[in-house]
Amino acid sequence: MMQTLITYLAVGSIVGYLLSKVNRHIGPIVLFALSIYSLIILWNLPTGAVENLYGFEGVLKFTALSRYFSILSLIVFASFSFFNISWIDKAKNPHAFNALSILTLLGTLGIFFSSNLIVLYIFWELAVLGSLFIVPMGKEESRKAAIWYIVISSIGTYMFLYGVFMLYSQYNTFDVFEIAKYLPHESSSFKWIVLILLLAAGIAKSGIFPLHTWLRNVHGNAPDTFSAVLSGQLVKMGSYILALVLTIFPVSVMFSEFYNGINLLSYLLIWLGNISILVGTLMAIKQNDMKMLIAYSTVANSGYILIGLATLDKVGYAGGLFHVINHALAATMIFLSFAAVVYRTGTTKIDELGGLIHRMPVTFVTYLVGIISLAGIPPTSGFISKWMIFQSLVSRGMFVTEMFTFIGSIGSFLYVFRPLAGVFLGQLKSKHKDVREAPIFMTIPMILLVTLTVLWGIFPQQVLMWITDIQKEFSMTVFQFEGTKLMTNMGYWDTWTVFVMFAVGFIIAAVIYILMPKGKKIPLEDQYTSGEFLHNYDLYHYASKFYAFFEREYEGHPSFEDLYLSFVNVLKAVGKGVDYLARREASAYLFWTAVVLVILLWVRW
Amino acid sequence: MTAVRVAQVLLTAFFFGLTFEGIGRKVTARIQKRYGPPWYQNFIDVFKTLTKHGWTHGWIFDFGVLMALGGVIATLSFVPLGNLVAFPGLDNFFVIVYLFTVGALGMAMGMVGTGNPWASIGVARALTLMLGYEVPYLIVITSMLYFYKTSNISNIIAAQGEIWNIFRFPIGALVAFISLQGMLGKEPFEAPIAPAEIASGPMVELSAKYMGLLMLMNTFMEFVEISLFVDFFLGGGTYFVFLLKYLVVWILAVMISAVLPRFRIEQAVAFYWTVPILLAFLQAFLVINGWVF
Repeated sequence: MMQTLITYLAVGSIVGYLLSKVNRHIGPIVLFALSIYSLIILWNLPTGAVENLYGFEGVLKFTALSRYFSILSLIVFASFSFFNISWIDKAKNPHAFNALSILTLLGTLGIFFSSNLIVLYIFWELAVLGSLFIVPMGKEESRKAAIWYIVISSIGTYMFLYGVFMLYSQYNTFDVFEIAKYLPHESSSFKWIVLILLLAAGIAKSGIFPLHTWLRNVHGNAPDTFSAVLSGQLVKMGSYILALVLTIFPVSVMFSEFYNGINLLSYLLIWLGNISILVGTLMAIKQNDMKMLIAYSTVANSGYILIGLATLDKVGYAGGLFHVINHALAATMIFLSFAAVVYRTGTTKIDELGGLIHRMPVTFVTYLVGIISLAGIPPTSGFISKWMIFQSLVSRGMFVTEMFTFIGSIGSFLYVFRPLAGVFLGQLKSKHKDVREAPIFMTIPMILLVTLTVLWGIFPQQVLMWITDIQKEFSMTVFQFEGTKLMTNMGYWDTWTVFVMFAVGFIIAAVIYILMPKGKKIPLEDQYTSGEFLHNYDLYHYASKFYAFFEREYEGHPSFEDLYLSFVNVLKAVGKGVDYLARREASAYLFWTAVVLVILLWVRW
Repeated sequence: MTAVRVAQVLLTAFFFGLTFEGIGRKVTARIQKRYGPPWYQNFIDVFKTLTKHGWTHGWIFDFGVLMALGGVIATLSFVPLGNLVAFPGLDNFFVIVYLFTVGALGMAMGMVGTGNPWASIGVARALTLMLGYEVPYLIVITSMLYFYKTSNISNIIAAQGEIWNIFRFPIGALVAFISLQGMLGKEPFEAPIAPAEIASGPMVELSAKYMGLLMLMNTFMEFVEISLFVDFFLGGGTYFVFLLKYLVVWILAVMISAVLPRFRIEQAVAFYWTVPILLAFLQAFLVINGWVF
């Protein structure tokens, strides 16, 4: 079935391209149909199925981990493609956009299916290639962003490829399950090098510090809807590699314990996660571009995922995996709602917008539920994963890591509130008075995602079932739950009871509200203005430098982006030098002749 | 049975919360050499505002107010008041802390939804202050959760027995109290609502029943915050003992706030991220090594 799906997607990519030439709206429909078809197939496919791919024997294996990541990817792609049916009007190259998005889906599904590391690598490059050519179709800056993307992605993938070749030269196989049997018996230095090389791909792709710099440029400048796929799905390829490598090679057994049951490798990864959370949170707080803001929040959330996965215990690992799906849904919701805003207003700058809730209520609700889940507030599913990660950290007494996760968690209230207040609440700009709600094809996927997030927040059994399947597959102790009751060694909680109490509280408040005299509706311009008479209510909106008083505290921070740009400058200078020496002029020929002569004399040929 | 206990918790918070607020106003007045309002003044305020005709700025304003009060009521019902626990076993610390933010988010959203920039400034300050006080507070509390190997608050109340945690974790109690002052929004951490500076911040556009509902919400929030402190550090106790301990903590917080000026918001965050956070880590370090009295 997996081979068939890959074939269908490959054909679908070409068909989608040709049909988009006829009518650009058909491409997204093809992708939507393919995603839904794959979703139905994979939902019912039993795990453990091994298949050949075009004659290569047994390179595809459908594991519980593959199923989990495939399903979340397909949910993201289905919403993205449905949303695109309307949005594609604004795309620059609609046919290429459609074909490449289907190709990206093909690549990512291939990654989740492959048990052969070299096949995985090929699919990985396919996914990167597909997305790489979509990124420059965005804003003006997006061409540069594509370079960031390919460079940092290549750093990860080439390290991964090198690690794979090291393994091949040792064991003569690319099969990851075979390798997992031998690797624990190797020397410690070999294990360290190989695992770090393999993990590097995951770190680069999921935007973990120090390879996080591409996210701001790429997510911020990519075409608006594609940012949803980038942040909701492509980043999760990195999480997949992290989850796979950390568990299939039993890292917790292979390395010595460092602190309260955490091995040294995990501990180092947790520290990378900590720094990612700090960097992502503080940088997100100061962004004025809403897409870049959420891009940095992706850095922080990848940090959470890494911390959860690296604890490798039943609660923390399950929390990390749960956070993958939560962040995928939340990021998709948020980026799609931004895409709807940009579709109607044409800007991503927070301080150029305001008050859109009065024109685009569905988009607002999508954003609201998205941020509630992102910030980890019940009754959405985002809270469950954060709760699990916190429980795991507390039970191990990792107080420094806790500090970073708390900063990230409370910091997320700060940064998600910035677009909420600046874009959707506050004064409606006079030039946006005629803005309408997003078209129906955009609102439907948004509403469905909202429903899914709340539903999984109240009834998380389905997701937890998938997660415990993964844990069983890797023979870890599994996370325990009974119905809606989630249990750890440190205590339990019940999602259903909390939701019921929330509903009861809301009803009590509503009853008081309804019983009391009705308020009179007044326009937004009817305000307390400290006695001033205002001519321009566009300016009576607090959106730029929202947290100026806090941003001042870390103004002069060091920047890795600047550091990397300085490397680029060094390379450019070297390139200029080579250019100078290699130009077609007499002096250059003379120089090279002299160099060759000197070398000849030196080696005395 | 559960419904009765929930009602009991909510009514306790309503009657004693408002009464203690009235007493607090009296104490502040006496410190400032005024006579002060009667102890039941807050009841008058709430009922009066609830029955007036007010103004609304659209559905998000109304919804925000409802979400604020609803969220806080939900939170409150999970907080153990001494030995009065509405949902035994479900009083998980993290659930309470995060459920608490639903109410805060509702209020922030509704108030910014009025379109008044003063409200936005107040909310921005409140969130920043939250980043300040929550971090040391959570580190201290989680070090206690680590020590007792449970995150259920009633279990911690039970584990304290005769020796309260304030004696076992004195540094932690100090940090938690400093954080409590910030949570309550009392001086010196009053910048988010600074009446004379930013026109009461989030409350700037409130009128009539909206004001009344948010006054109730504020009372309930204070009740949650102080109850958590009493449960964690003062051993909970039976219903009336709990209320007595509650009153002592509340009066102490009020007295401190009555004599202090206010920090600028960045000063407050800088303060929380230096002294209390270091003390919190000191406490955590002591706990990890088992050096607890």
